[in-house]
Amino acid sequence: MREPARATSSGPGRVLIAVYGVFALSATARALVQIATKFDEAPLAYLLSALAGVVYILATIGLNGRGPGARKLAWAAVGFELVGVLVVGTLTLLDAADFPDDTVWSVYGRGYGFVPLVLPFIGLWWLRHTRAR
Amino acid sequence: MIGALEIVVLAALAALAVYGVVTTALNRPPDVWTKRAVGVVEALLVVQAAIAALRIFGGVTLPETTTFLIYLVVSVCVLPIATQFATAEPTRWGGTVVAVGAIATAVAVWRLQGLWAAGA
Repeated sequence: MREPARATSSGPGRVLIAVYGVFALSATARALVQIATKFDEAPLAYLLSALAGVVYILATIGLNGRGPGARKLAWAAVGFELVGVLVVGTLTLLDAADFPDDTVWSVYGRGYGFVPLVLPFIGLWWLRHTRAR
Repeated sequence: MIGALEIVVLAALAALAVYGVVTTALNRPPDVWTKRAVGVVEALLVVQAAIAALRIFGGVTLPETTTFLIYLVVSVCVLPIATQFATAEPTRWGGTVVAVGAIATAVAVWRLQGLWAAGA
């Protein structure tokens, strides 16, 4: 018999959503301040900060929502987040000059205790764990 | 910022985070004590934010006033939202949600202290 999907916002999923919410808030707020006050200093880094913020917001909404639409949104956002932190983390390690200012994903999220690196793996695992099977 | 109060606030947030994780470990949903503890910590945060805001608008200048004020708002708002979210579904994980909110708030308070020190 086929087991229906379990809500991603149930049980330990709520802790995950809380962490995503915190990152959505901090990444977005940080990017907005950067763009509003000193955009010319490092436009690429600040746009990347803003992109990260949007991705965290979408992941939070997707994980907190119910139904297949929300689940798809969560898969896409968390998957993008994983690619983002790996690509930006690697680029910042290889060539710091292109990233004059830190973003959430710089050096795999070192400025945030490497939580940005661990979070997408837990997110993808949780989406897989709660899917219909 | 306000040295002694800041230490009390950080200690209270740490205690709240530990209590939240303990309720999860004991397989208990957030209880009335969690809400009371959140209430006490939130009161401390509001007092701290009010004092800081009064001093800012009373003429204290900081290098990054906008960032400081955003962190000030965050320091007050996160815990009530986290607690609301934690108690909406009464499972053992609610305590850890409160702990996440407490840790995030502690980081905000820490950053507030750094920004304030930069202007002093």
